[in-house]
Amino acid sequence: MSVSTPSAPVASVPRDRGGPPAARRVRRVRSRFSPWLFLAPALAFFAVFKFWPVIWGVYLSFFHVRPYLGNEWLGWANFSRAFQDPDLRAAVGHTVLDAVVSVAGSMLVGFALALLLESPARHVRILRTAVFLPAVTAMVAIAELWGALLFPGRYGAVNSFLGALGLGAQPFLASPHSSLWTVMLIQIWKAAPYDMVIFIAGLVGIDRQLYESANIDGAGAWQRLRHITIPSLRPITTIVLTLGIIRGLRVFTEINVLTGGGPGGSTETIVTTTFKAATVANDTGYASAISTLLLIATILLTSLTLWWRNRLEAS
Amino acid sequence: MVRVPWRDRVLVASAAGMCAVLAISGCGSSDKSKAEATGPLNVWVRGANDSIKAYQKVFDAFTAKTGIQIKPFMTLTDFETKLSAAATSHKLPDVVVDDAAQLGNFETQGIIQPVDKSAVAGQDQLTDRAWDSAKDLTGKYYAVPFSAQANILLVRSDWLAKLKLQPPKTWQDVATVAKAFTTQDPDGDGKADTYGLDVPGSTTRGYISWYWSSLLWEAGGSYFKPAGNGKFAANLDTPQATQSVQWFEDQFCTNKVVQPSALNDTTTEANKAFQTGVTGMYFTGPYAYATMDATAIKGKYVAVAPPAGPANGQTLAEGTDIYLMAGGKTSEAKKLAEFMITPEAQRLGMTAVPTATIVRLPVNKTVDAATEHQGDDRWKLAQQVYQSDGHYEDINMPNWTALRQATSDGLNALVAKCGDPATALHTLNDKLNSILKTQGVAAG
Repeated sequence: MSVSTPSAPVASVPRDRGGPPAARRVRRVRSRFSPWLFLAPALAFFAVFKFWPVIWGVYLSFFHVRPYLGNEWLGWANFSRAFQDPDLRAAVGHTVLDAVVSVAGSMLVGFALALLLESPARHVRILRTAVFLPAVTAMVAIAELWGALLFPGRYGAVNSFLGALGLGAQPFLASPHSSLWTVMLIQIWKAAPYDMVIFIAGLVGIDRQLYESANIDGAGAWQRLRHITIPSLRPITTIVLTLGIIRGLRVFTEINVLTGGGPGGSTETIVTTTFKAATVANDTGYASAISTLLLIATILLTSLTLWWRNRLEAS
Repeated sequence: MVRVPWRDRVLVASAAGMCAVLAISGCGSSDKSKAEATGPLNVWVRGANDSIKAYQKVFDAFTAKTGIQIKPFMTLTDFETKLSAAATSHKLPDVVVDDAAQLGNFETQGIIQPVDKSAVAGQDQLTDRAWDSAKDLTGKYYAVPFSAQANILLVRSDWLAKLKLQPPKTWQDVATVAKAFTTQDPDGDGKADTYGLDVPGSTTRGYISWYWSSLLWEAGGSYFKPAGNGKFAANLDTPQATQSVQWFEDQFCTNKVVQPSALNDTTTEANKAFQTGVTGMYFTGPYAYATMDATAIKGKYVAVAPPAGPANGQTLAEGTDIYLMAGGKTSEAKKLAEFMITPEAQRLGMTAVPTATIVRLPVNKTVDAATEHQGDDRWKLAQQVYQSDGHYEDINMPNWTALRQATSDGLNALVAKCGDPATALHTLNDKLNSILKTQGVAAG
């Protein structure tokens, strides 16, 4: 620090913000750069594995991609094809239905579980861990497991149980009428515990005095839930909803393992359609165009959710 | 003069480093195939389990003979998907061993090299039918054949005996036996937990169409009709095609004799259903002998000729081809292909590993499957069926896998909804015609 010669005897204050202009400029540069330095490893990682592939994908969506024959410029053709593709339209319908039902379902179940299991007691902690297990299990393993349990014959594990209750054998994943609903149930089973943990974190943060005051005022359990718990959880709900929407729109693994999009295309979603366009039909350009549209839709939906919640918060 | 402190210099250096990382990633898509001109021969094989050991025996023999090292990669799961990914990043292997049905798919991607048949040592020892499975519509060869087969029907012999039934010879017999297997408790456990027919009915890799093809031909139908000048028209809106789909759909929707998960099942699940006594009849390739014999049902099933339909007893024939990949080490790859068709390699592929017959029926005329598999008459049957009734899919089309995928999607949707075959086939026919158009071979 040979440059900083004190101009006045006021150096007794630690972290003096004064000094000559050059030193101030260096400090300013440093304070502006420091956060980026800490972020650099993560940014470099994301740049290589996320941002660059995204940019490259958007670029490829304007081509008929032929790695060994040379790419062919198509302009907007892949995009206009996407808007006219009846299979993709059906897949969008399935995806939206799946996202809405599974996000709402897992939020409701997760919230109910959080209310039931929010307690520091040891036995509740054990129960909470048990309930949380599906959230940490790999989706492929879960899908394989449920695929076996839901064998559609009379002697499938779940159907045997239903039989004991006097219900007939259900086709589950084998019928186009029930396949998507079955997938949604499995998704809720996996995602609800995840939502539960976030809700529990939110519940813990609620000021206990509010409940005590409400008790004194004679509020019942329902009123406490309606007027204290739910309003206090608004920010948390935003997080759960946003994560849910993103998760819902890019649903792939469970469907690819459980049904491969079938039967009769009844569980085909945007990402399974994209995957097939890229790997079965070898049409990387078209797959990239669908991915680009999905990216735009995800950004728009997420922004819309945040804007809506912010407006609600403000009011 | 203001000196920049070292911490700031670190900052600048880091930023420069990051830019370098970005720049490298940006340039990362340049052609890397040139960098791989040396080193062992990269060979990808669609195979799993004991097939890997069998291929290794063939490769070891090749290395011992030529000194050329081989680096194999073998998988059954999403093989073509992985290959597509490799092609996209310009990291193709030198040789690929995969189904003959993939020829058009690979050719349209430009990832395989044409083969000069006359320059392949030992080419005259191969059967003409095998060579036919390695050429496209224009008559150009794009692969070297390695193995051939035709589908046969596996039937649980113990179930037949228990119910005092004979192996089926016609479609009607199949329906009758399937009904009995489903309703008369052939395994005697007191539960209605068995099914007559084992169908891999998923759309993955076009399985349901792959299965149904034999029924189409047995009813006298065909996928396409030639319109001259190398052009074709889809031919699925015919009474023959409708009859075959109607019979197929009846087994699912009316008789309910197919395993209930069929429409989502690939051959992996279908194999398991037969091996574990869930299903009693499985129409599949002779490679299944080894797979099934490695499980508890060894000795409890028989292999019979495909039951005849209204027109004939034609059955799905298939091949395994050796593809020489674009940008690969061509001369060494050709040497491997030439070795794999020699009698020595063909024999190794048939018998070196008893639990995996990677050469089902030899493509080399000087080798005889029945002789090699002495004492196992099932191979004699497989050979007879291939020679008399084997019928290849339309693998010479510019891209057969795209046409097969469309057929599978249509069939799977039809059977899932138990819809009207004639209507569904009419729609499917239009779809196939539109694909033929994109492939440049549509009539009119």
